[in-house]
Amino acid sequence: MSIKLTTQAYCKMLLHAAKYPHCAVNGLLVAEKQKEKKKDNTYTPILCVDCIPLFHGTLALAPMLEVALTLIDTWCKENKYVIAGYYQANERIKDFRPNQVAEKVAARIAENFSEAAMIIVDNTRFTMGCYEPILAIYDHHENKWKCRDCNVDCFEDWCEAQKITLALLEGRSYESLIDFDNHLDDLRNDWTNPEINKSVLHLC
Amino acid sequence: MRDKLRKWREDNHRNSEQIVDVAEELINEHASKLGDDIWIIYEQVMIAALDCSRDDLAWTCLQELKKQFPGSQRVKRLGGMRLEALEKYEEAGKQYDSILQEDPTNTAARKRKISILKAQGKNTDAIRELNEYLELFVGDQEAWHELSDLYINEHDYGKAAFCLEELMMTNPHNHLYCEQYAEVKYTQGGLENLELSRKYFAQALKLNNRNMRALFGLYMSASHIAASPKVNAAVKKANVKYAAWAANQINRAYQLAGRGTKENKCSVKAVEEMLESMQITMS
Repeated sequence: MSIKLTTQAYCKMLLHAAKYPHCAVNGLLVAEKQKEKKKDNTYTPILCVDCIPLFHGTLALAPMLEVALTLIDTWCKENKYVIAGYYQANERIKDFRPNQVAEKVAARIAENFSEAAMIIVDNTRFTMGCYEPILAIYDHHENKWKCRDCNVDCFEDWCEAQKITLALLEGRSYESLIDFDNHLDDLRNDWTNPEINKSVLHLC
Repeated sequence: MRDKLRKWREDNHRNSEQIVDVAEELINEHASKLGDDIWIIYEQVMIAALDCSRDDLAWTCLQELKKQFPGSQRVKRLGGMRLEALEKYEEAGKQYDSILQEDPTNTAARKRKISILKAQGKNTDAIRELNEYLELFVGDQEAWHELSDLYINEHDYGKAAFCLEELMMTNPHNHLYCEQYAEVKYTQGGLENLELSRKYFAQALKLNNRNMRALFGLYMSASHIAASPKVNAAVKKANVKYAAWAANQINRAYQLAGRGTKENKCSVKAVEEMLESMQITMS
């Protein structure tokens, strides 16, 4: 019941946090929709293939969050994805616990996807060097969120993720990252971030 | 370059990395041509440097300002901000206290003290201090907005709404305050608050018909009211009409934005489908 992250998902999460160092940021993680369960019941971890940055600044207001969730859900259905997780990086550097907003949104996602995960970024370990994974992953067990150790096994390919995230941070790619807030400011801004996706692929 | 810096100052942009990039070159090579502007640029650069953890640059700017304006409270406050950036909150607090001893009406020092509380995560203390501050300095809009943000983070939407009401009273043409007020009311929930929220989203749209948040908000609030079992048929019908109008406007806005870009077509489609699916739940 654990999730794994691809390089693209991890990169965009960190770029989002880097773009707004003085704000709280949040977003969603999407995974490919699983076809029927394998007959031999082998366990396959959910692979989060992409990340959709949502908001920065004030995260605790409902209307735009509802719009984003509904819109992205529709988009997911068209692309055979499912919303599989929620991430948040808090405003203050030493604040690494999930708050009410995080728990509420993650619980909403878990209603539709039982293996949903909640990820909180550990700001204190966020460096340009990307030496280690800086996430705290929470799984939903019996109505509570329990923290799981995040190590290199949580990634499809940690070395690649590390290398590419470092390159994009140094190249300041975060300046061109678009989140849902930017999209609402100007509809032409594309929250799927095709340019950054291309850069990630290019560097792979 | 000078003009860019001025624009960023006036718009209160927090693009600290950009400022620091530009500043070093500007100060080192063109200092003589800047004339008196250089002092305000030193201040702007210093604050940006603190934001980027460039203590070296911040220190240089601070020294120049201290030399030029010895004993200035404004410079003293910058010194306090540097201590804050180094997380030396007690020393920073003492610096601000000494400013306030000389001049108890110095609002900047008082606000920095509140920022220290916020940085330490002491939100309830910050709220209390900010309330006391606002009793004395009732017209400080930045403070009212900060207070509303603090209340939102504490999920005290009623009090956040009160702060935004103050801002709307003094800035009746500001569509952003209207729209944020509507969002707070929506989040508070309940039929009455939803109706209020719809009205304020509509007002925000009247003030600026390109505010997408207001348009989406109008759509969402009208849809929720129409779907509520507590409303009578007339209210339901009216809200279905409002929601339909909003949906139309949203689709139009996306069509306009999507013209010419292939990638945006997916958003246009997603929005159409989302609106259609919500229509079904409404009826």
